[in-house]
Amino acid sequence: MNVVLNICRFNPEVDVKPYFQEFTVLVEEHNTVLDALLQAWQQDPGLSFRRSCRSAICGSCALCINGRPGLACQTLIRNAITEGGRITLEPLPHFRQLKDLVVDLDPFFESLKAVVPWVVIRDNHDGRMAPEVARKLESPATCILCGVCHAAMDDPGEVKPAALVKGLRLALDPRDVLGAARLQLMKVPRDILRLFIKNLPEKCPKGITVPEDVCHV
Amino acid sequence: MLIHEVLVVGGGLAGLMAALVASQKADVAVLSKIYPTRSHSGAAQGGFNAALGEDDSVEAHIFDTVKGSDYLGDQDAIEVLCSEGPEVILELERMGVPWTRTPEGRVAQRSLGGAGFPRACFAADFSGHVVLHTLFEQVLRRGIKIYPEWHLVELLVEDGQVAGVLAYDLARARLEVIRSKAVILATGGYGRAFAKTTNAHANTGDGMAIAYRAGAVLSDMEFVQFHPTTLYGTNILISEAARGEGGYLRNYDGERFMVHYAPQKMELAPRDVVSRAIFKEIKEGRGFEGQYVHLDLTHLGEALVAERLPQVRDLAIRYAGVDPARAPMPIEPAQHYSMGGVRTDVWGMTSLTGLLAAGEVANVSVHGANRLGGNSLLETVVFGRRAGHRAAQLARQEPWPTLSAATITRAYESWSSLLAGRGQGVQEDSTFAIRQEMTNLMTNQVGVFRVGSELEDAVNRLAKLKERYQRLKAPGGMQPFNYALMDYLEVGYLLDLCEVIARGALRRTESRGAHYRLDYPQRDDQNWLCHTFVRRGEDGPEFSNGPVKITRYAPQERGY
Ligand SMILES: Cc1cc2nc3c(=O)[nH]c(=O)nc-3n(C[C@H](O)[C@H](O)[C@H](O)COP(=O)(O)OP(=O)(O)OC[C@H]3O[C@@H](n4cnc5c(N)ncnc54)[C@H](O)[C@@H]3O)c2cc1C
Ligand code: SF4
Ligand code: FES
Repeated sequence: MNVVLNICRFNPEVDVKPYFQEFTVLVEEHNTVLDALLQAWQQDPGLSFRRSCRSAICGSCALCINGRPGLACQTLIRNAITEGGRITLEPLPHFRQLKDLVVDLDPFFESLKAVVPWVVIRDNHDGRMAPEVARKLESPATCILCGVCHAAMDDPGEVKPAALVKGLRLALDPRDVLGAARLQLMKVPRDILRLFIKNLPEKCPKGITVPEDVCHV
Repeated sequence: MLIHEVLVVGGGLAGLMAALVASQKADVAVLSKIYPTRSHSGAAQGGFNAALGEDDSVEAHIFDTVKGSDYLGDQDAIEVLCSEGPEVILELERMGVPWTRTPEGRVAQRSLGGAGFPRACFAADFSGHVVLHTLFEQVLRRGIKIYPEWHLVELLVEDGQVAGVLAYDLARARLEVIRSKAVILATGGYGRAFAKTTNAHANTGDGMAIAYRAGAVLSDMEFVQFHPTTLYGTNILISEAARGEGGYLRNYDGERFMVHYAPQKMELAPRDVVSRAIFKEIKEGRGFEGQYVHLDLTHLGEALVAERLPQVRDLAIRYAGVDPARAPMPIEPAQHYSMGGVRTDVWGMTSLTGLLAAGEVANVSVHGANRLGGNSLLETVVFGRRAGHRAAQLARQEPWPTLSAATITRAYESWSSLLAGRGQGVQEDSTFAIRQEMTNLMTNQVGVFRVGSELEDAVNRLAKLKERYQRLKAPGGMQPFNYALMDYLEVGYLLDLCEVIARGALRRTESRGAHYRLDYPQRDDQNWLCHTFVRRGEDGPEFSNGPVKITRYAPQERGY
């Protein structure tokens, strides 16, 4: 079927401000928004957007689909299409647009550094971890650093959303010396933290769930 | 000009591991054409092999790998791989990898193809992802400089020694020279040479092609792995873990057809064996719609599928519209892994002084003619570590190699002119058209089953595509985020590699591991128990044969 992609364009070398351009592409319902974008790219090789894995694991293709941040390769055409067979694509909000759908990721990756984003290993760690504890880390450890939460949620305090997810995943890790102290470090009030944890799965394309009991560690 | 003692090109598992180790003793930077966490290592689902189990042994791991390689793997390198496996898993554990655990709290292990024991350490089916992100955390911890979205375009060689690189910064649209004492290539594989592949868009074999152009020796390039179970249509991988957890392959009659091909190992025979079996079933009319077979997990129960294979389930639901807990998945084989690569020794040293390589880009030859599931992730960390170690040693002991102004000027000027799109160009032709023809050709004629006449035809047609490519004009010029320009370069790399793969396949008149010749269906140890080396000559690739290192296990018939 024919789909009209309404794409936000901006070339910093010539444009005064962003504008929209329409591309008509031929795709199937079960194709993804990324498939559609790749076709638009063949029509205009100057169109810029990031992509790599095409299977929702690398986090490259995050953008705003009909006003909602998500992953292009994870969103099926049939779920994205609006009236008149249109899909509107814009760069992620809360990020600086560099070119077309490409945004500046440096501040995003920089924001991780606020939470000591690595396991500070206990000297006496014996290499074991109870399976029920390991299971708690599992979901937050699947964060692909796509930036969708950063674009879709209010900052839960000084720490940015993806950094908070990283911090919480580490706080749950029994190997980590900081452990519970991480919650203090991140300075997020408990009720805001609860709300963040509650809203995350619905905003995050990986549906990340942080066990609620992290608030008690 | 930028200066780093050690420059790692590639931010996947091999690159990050190398950078971490080298950074203990030297100034290191990582150059990567995509942000490190975007690397395709993160898509690996199944796990990392290491003989940790009480019944398992390093010896058994070595033997399985040698046999899996169809005796083409170098046994000294395989010994390194398998012996260092357990300690490297422990190291990853201390870095903070969130492994799945046994009831006793040990790192859990599952069975993958061609292994005698459950040997693959895993984290549900996000094994590559969690390790990639853990290594990235450690890179942040060490404050290692990263150049994200910078593309290596040329290795600067002076008097036969690599003295730095020329790189292209995609965001700022400019070329930059980086001088270094040692360059470690960790740029991954070339899956995108094939129309049907499990690989990401970024997997275009850049490092292999750039090293080849600079004069390095590549080896065993004709050995290309085809993974048996990829989703029909999109070729998104369904990990071997799905069979490791007990999944069945069924044909149209509902029969577990592997009983006819590998009666003992069944679904967990090595990938080359299973891929050929699937194609044979389809060819003989026992497939669905003449195109695919089924991978059936329905008997495993929803709980196990949800716990052990959550990503597989998600992928199948989204991209194939099938919930594998309830219905079988349609699957077909597709290109998956590059066994060949830049020839290295067990420390990652290539044939060029100052150039090292590790991971999928390299060929130290642990996989020989066929890689076993779980051995590649292990290879990235074991040999990434070794390459990092050796590069740091070079940085400590060796003086700075000469990098003359003439070399810099020559490289800078020729690339500026090429990238700016100066010169003639054929308007009606495009990189897209050439890429499409090339990838279809590779899948159809240089795939799972090969035959002399088709390979010859492929070689000729690839040469024509190359001529067409040379007449193209680089699209769009040096503009920020000009992906078409990068695509143009990548197709150029792929064409060089396709030529080497197809000609290597034509040359090797036997069947071994993943290289299967219908016109030479037997393994021929008399003539072909040897590596294929290839170097770029004046008029194209120059091939030669090299000895395989056999230490303990003499070649035997390979039954499963
Ligand atoms: C879907 C899938 C699942 C897999 N599952 C398993 C498994 O379960 N077990 C297993 O053992 N193996 C598995 N493999 C194989 C294994 O994942 C890969 O072989 C391995 O991860 C490769 O790692 P690498 O570090 O060598 O390269 P990659 O992870 O591919 O990284 C390559 C890096 O090089 C950079 N790069 C490339 N070109 C350039 C350039 N020109 N300039 C600058 N940078 C460049 C990229 O940015 C990237 O950072 C799987 C492979 C696939 C495709
Ligand atoms: S938490 Fe979710 S939305 Fe945020 S970066 Fe991670 S995967 Fe993306
Ligand atoms: S392309 Fe990797 S997440 Fe979409």
